[in-house]
Amino acid sequence: MIDLTGAVIGFVIMLGLMFIGLHVGIAMLATGVLGALVYFGPPVLLSFGTNLWAVMNDFLLTTIPLFVLLGELLLRAGITRNMYESLTDWLSRLPGGLLHTNIGACAMFSAVSGSSVATAATIGTVALDEFKRRAYHEPLVLGTIAAGATLGILIPPSVNLIIYGALTNTSIGQLFAAGILPGILLTLLFMVIIAAAVLWKPSLAEQVTEVPPRAERLRRLRFLLPPLGIFVVVMGAIYGGWATPTEAAALGVVLAFMLAAANRALSFSMLHAAFVATIKTSAMLLFIITAAFFLNFIVGLLGVPQAMSRAVTDLGLNATEMILILVLFYLVMGCFLETLSMMVGTIPVVMPVVLHLGIDPVWFGIFLVIMMELALITPPVGMNLYVVQGVRKHGELADVYRGILPFVAAMLVMVGLIIVWPQIVMVIPEALF
Amino acid sequence: MRMIGILGGYACLGLSFLIVFEILARKLFNHSLQGVDEIGGYVVAITGTFGMALAAVERAHTRIDVLLLRLPGRVQAGLNLLTYVALGIGAAFMGYMGWRTLSDSLTFGSVSSSPLQVPLWIPQSLWMAGLLVFALAALLTALRGLAALRHGLEAADQVLAPTTIAEEIEEARK
Repeated sequence: MIDLTGAVIGFVIMLGLMFIGLHVGIAMLATGVLGALVYFGPPVLLSFGTNLWAVMNDFLLTTIPLFVLLGELLLRAGITRNMYESLTDWLSRLPGGLLHTNIGACAMFSAVSGSSVATAATIGTVALDEFKRRAYHEPLVLGTIAAGATLGILIPPSVNLIIYGALTNTSIGQLFAAGILPGILLTLLFMVIIAAAVLWKPSLAEQVTEVPPRAERLRRLRFLLPPLGIFVVVMGAIYGGWATPTEAAALGVVLAFMLAAANRALSFSMLHAAFVATIKTSAMLLFIITAAFFLNFIVGLLGVPQAMSRAVTDLGLNATEMILILVLFYLVMGCFLETLSMMVGTIPVVMPVVLHLGIDPVWFGIFLVIMMELALITPPVGMNLYVVQGVRKHGELADVYRGILPFVAAMLVMVGLIIVWPQIVMVIPEALF
Repeated sequence: MRMIGILGGYACLGLSFLIVFEILARKLFNHSLQGVDEIGGYVVAITGTFGMALAAVERAHTRIDVLLLRLPGRVQAGLNLLTYVALGIGAAFMGYMGWRTLSDSLTFGSVSSSPLQVPLWIPQSLWMAGLLVFALAALLTALRGLAALRHGLEAADQVLAPTTIAEEIEEARK
């Protein structure tokens, strides 16, 4: 049995291996192997053998490549520009104008595509084009895209929530349900912040006074139907109780395929590009997940959960204090680690503490994903900041930093809200299940 | 290598249509095709391990580069090389565990505990082959990087360095 010091040393070794640039999966595998060898000897390693097949052959994990494929098809289905214009029709008269379109388009697109890099790159390309002709405070424009693109990992269907669910044995259906309300609230919070900023300082955004006639706007509303429709069908199938998350993902893939065909975006080269991207991303995820299962298995044998719970009991912390410590912990971690690695790498040590303190794993999953969103946009290393700057291709990264600050603040407020009112997360899953 | 992605993609697309067909058959005709979920598991396991090889060659496996990129170029090149050797060893370790699983299935003639009664060695041998290809692909990438080193650090980086943001944006737009 391992003690707290041993567990912490193991965690630090794993981080060290990640920081010298080893693949994240390898860092986790190596840490697991090291732990097993130091405390038990080689035979223990082999006892994982059959689990390896069980992990990779799990029907639950079938969900991942299907959702990734759905996103990749949608990305290439030729809907982005029209969707952006239609959202502009309806949102641009709010104070802040097209900035709201950015948030709305990012929320919609990333919800279904599930990738924040793809969202920031795709919506960023369309949006920055649009803003060239207009007088907006540029940092704020960049901030809206970088922040909006994070929304998808919270709003279901979310691959990150599936991975969390698989690793912690939490219901995917409940996690998806739990992400809806915080996702919507965070989107609204972003919009309120934009409106407040623009009302306070009108020069930040151009006031849009003219919109196309109502008939035209209604006609263009159909461009919003595809992403919304896929979202509704996928989620409806799960909550209507007639499909598992995997079946719902398959349904989404077929719909996205038909949508691309209807838009004449379907071709062999388009399909093959989507396929290669899908397989690469899914295999990357599967490798990390497999390594995480292996590490979790060893960590369990080593008694890390017991060591962690004892440590928490000795410290005499209550659940709220622990969560506040974890907020700080993840803020710091997020500055160094890629977000998925941060989640997967910390679950083995953090989850026992969470369960020991009686924190609901569904709530914690949402908390963790919001912390991941924060990590994506926290200067100086938030990934989305670099993606937006990369799409923009001119000016200073510092502009993006300035523009993101209001949204970082909004996310921190969101974290505070779900800590004070956990019902925000729990009300929908509790009503449904 | 791209072939792995394309074939894997068709498998996933085909699986999606199969699953949707199964849902429709179940809802409309009250008739369930047996074992679609089982086939789905095999598809993911097999495309997954072969896909890992593709991801290794195309540098798609996640790495943390905040510190790495701040190190001197020579050190980076050395660590990049080490990284791919380690990936090869890790994949080979997984392959060895896979082989043990497969040999158990062969010895005991295991079949899946489902209506399909699939002899497990069939999906498992493909799955294990994928792990093997993964290990070889990682080691081969290390060798390619080593060979590229003769043309300078930059050439080696193109084979071994973590993907840059610009490359990822490019990828998303393809």
